[in-house]
Amino acid sequence: MKLQRRKLTASVPSFAMGDIGFLLLIFFVILARSQNDSHIQWQPAELKDIEMSAAPRATVSIDTGYKTYLDGKEISTDELASALSAVLGDTPAGQRNVFLKVHREAKATHFEPVIAAISEAGGDLVHILEPEEQSKQ
Amino acid sequence: MKLKRGKMLVDPPACASSDIAFTLIIFFLVCAAVQPETGMSQALPKTESKSEKREQSQNIEVSITPSSIILNGSPLKIDEFKTRIASELKKKTREQDRIVVVKSAPDTPYPIWLNVSQAIDQAGGILTLELETEKTINVQ
Repeated sequence: MKLQRRKLTASVPSFAMGDIGFLLLIFFVILARSQNDSHIQWQPAELKDIEMSAAPRATVSIDTGYKTYLDGKEISTDELASALSAVLGDTPAGQRNVFLKVHREAKATHFEPVIAAISEAGGDLVHILEPEEQSKQ
Repeated sequence: MKLKRGKMLVDPPACASSDIAFTLIIFFLVCAAVQPETGMSQALPKTESKSEKREQSQNIEVSITPSSIILNGSPLKIDEFKTRIASELKKKTREQDRIVVVKSAPDTPYPIWLNVSQAIDQAGGILTLELETEKTINVQ
């Protein structure tokens, strides 16, 4: 007489699926949101009466070495207008926010051509700044 | 005589604590990533070459240098500039006359430029940059 071996069933525990799904969702949210310009070294200028800014379509930065970056990638000011136009595409007016992060020690020769390029691309310029401290006012 | 009821010890399941910690880390990471940024929005007219514009000659002109701000030829400090530009722009009724042409010296620092442009915005002016372009001509 043959004895039948009891079958072992290996199943994935389903109670963890909710947690896994939630973590994956958050992971992709972070990936989608982060325009990776964290490597750019810059210090914001300070100004009174500034407000919260809406989400940007693109970010242009000028770092401590006065190099220009578009969404974290180095770019020359001559190419900036066309590259920005491509990023902004047919986005309707009012949603064409372009964040401009300029190092506080930059001079007009560095930031004015960048502002002109943003204007040429039809971007809505937002200077990213820090609120000026009360003690300095 | 009262009989004391034995207390039941309920331990939270320890196997879930790593999941909870991980979820908390991600939660704070998301909070940090979506932290709103502060700034100053600025409306700029589209860039155009000098030959296309300037049929209107009544525009206010501002020159910025590292040491002074010059409004229609007279040098001013930033506080004086704020009041003067506001009074100048009050006289302008048509939108095309509210254009303020700003010309900066190459070594003008960003914070000074920002103060001037904020003063123009707050006074209701339309800031326009006048840039000098360099052209290289090869002579054979």
